[in-house]
Amino acid sequence: MSYYFAIIGTQDNPLFEYEFGTSKQGGDGQSRFTEQAHHLNQFVLHSSLDIVEEVQWMNGQLYMKVIDKFFTNYISCFMTGGNVKFLLLHQPPQTEEAIKNFFNEVYENYVKAIMSPFYKVNMEVRSPVFRQRVAAAGRKYL
Amino acid sequence: MAHLGPGKAASSKEQTGLRYPSNGKTIYHRPLNRTKTAELSQSSFAYLFSEMVTYAQRRVTGIQELEKRLNVQGHPIGLKLLDLLLMREPPRTQTRPLTIIALLHFIKINLWTHLFGRQADRLEKSSNPDTPDEYMIVDNEPVVNAYISVPREMSQLNCAAFVAGIIEGVCDGAMFPARVTAHSVGGKEEGEMWPGKTVFLVKFQPEILEREALLGKP
Amino acid sequence: MASSKASRLGEETRMDKVNAELVVLTYGAMVAQLCKDFDSDYVKVNQQLDKMGYNIGLRLIEDYLAKSNTFKRCSNFRETAEMIAKVGFKIFLNITPTITNWTSDGKQFSLVFDENPFADFVELPDDGRAQDELWYSNILCGVLRGALEMVQMQVEAKFVSDVLRGNDTTEMRISLIRYIDDELPPEDD
Repeated sequence: MSYYFAIIGTQDNPLFEYEFGTSKQGGDGQSRFTEQAHHLNQFVLHSSLDIVEEVQWMNGQLYMKVIDKFFTNYISCFMTGGNVKFLLLHQPPQTEEAIKNFFNEVYENYVKAIMSPFYKVNMEVRSPVFRQRVAAAGRKYL
Repeated sequence: MAHLGPGKAASSKEQTGLRYPSNGKTIYHRPLNRTKTAELSQSSFAYLFSEMVTYAQRRVTGIQELEKRLNVQGHPIGLKLLDLLLMREPPRTQTRPLTIIALLHFIKINLWTHLFGRQADRLEKSSNPDTPDEYMIVDNEPVVNAYISVPREMSQLNCAAFVAGIIEGVCDGAMFPARVTAHSVGGKEEGEMWPGKTVFLVKFQPEILEREALLGKP
Repeated sequence: MASSKASRLGEETRMDKVNAELVVLTYGAMVAQLCKDFDSDYVKVNQQLDKMGYNIGLRLIEDYLAKSNTFKRCSNFRETAEMIAKVGFKIFLNITPTITNWTSDGKQFSLVFDENPFADFVELPDDGRAQDELWYSNILCGVLRGALEMVQMQVEAKFVSDVLRGNDTTEMRISLIRYIDDELPPEDD
């Protein structure tokens, strides 16, 4: 199983994206998305932003669980205090708990990235250390 | 709405040129959830802050412009603290503020306690029916004023404009865009209990009140 | 003064405290503002930070003398180094940098910072220059220069490495140029 993870800024601008495969049940952590699927994923993820906007004022939980479905693709969402969205495209079955743990770990690292005085709102997160940390969270929980 | 096109997206192949120490001393290697918040001497802050004000003063004309500049410098700190403080909340209370009241409580309690070691003294809603969009956060003795000596010619300056900027950053980040200004209201006469008393006037943009009305939240 | 005594002075000094993160974030906002004001001319930013530190140093020494209860003048530069690292930095930044790399003439030493609260949340701009040109914590050099000048020592202080630049240590080099009262004209008898 493969995952597509993206961080979307407050202007619906992409700040970070990362594709990976499962590390559970002997998975090697490599993404198996085809080039075509890659583009579709971006489209699917982006379409779900409208739903995020609909539900974000209903519930203040950062982890919003699965917010959208597209055939066998599920989109889980986590919204930061600054209204930046973490979106994860995955296929069932995924425990909510595993995804929550993944998001929480990414959140801690995201906060570290934005704490830098040189980080301005909606800047791409380009730190390679951050990318390694997201990859590690993926390996650990997904 | 922008599209996550392949050209626009942050490419995973993109490499940064930053160097890192081999021993891994970067922010990413330190825990953010510090059990005990480290403290520094108040005078370190006072020295730094006065120097910042003195420097800013040379680049502006007039008190208003100076306060605006201090506000602008505080703003990004508010944006960052919003997420830092939320991240440190225990899961049960880790929620985004959805209403003006929840947001103002977050500021009065979480933000203030974090920055100044105590809550703000009071929270008030404007009693003027013409300004339902205005709220006031009252601090009897802002740290930024208590230890900063302002030059005589600038006696009207309220350095709490910096804190106002931090508050504004929190509001903007949480999608409650507002304009926040600091006003000295302490009495000037001898024996006044709180000469540095400051009101932070938070004026929300009209669409925020509309949104609250729509969501049916008080 | 024995170094253990110096450590204790730093520990025992009590005063009002503020959250370290307020100081750190305020400093960060200031450096970011300077980078903007000087259009990312980092050499100028370093100079400005040094200048601001110098102004702070001139005023801070009084405070230091009062808080550290040190009325006695340091008898040599080695003792000065001890007091800077174990009392001065302890009082104002709650850290104790390591003193090392003395020159044989006893006029130059290094402070190595295992921790540096100013740099806590920082990643330098990824513009291909900041890591070669900006000394993020340069204000500290100015503080030492200003404070020591007030006690009749002219020093040069500069960073020579910084973990924010990808170095393995953060090191400041301090050189004694002269004792200022050495320069007083000899008294006429």
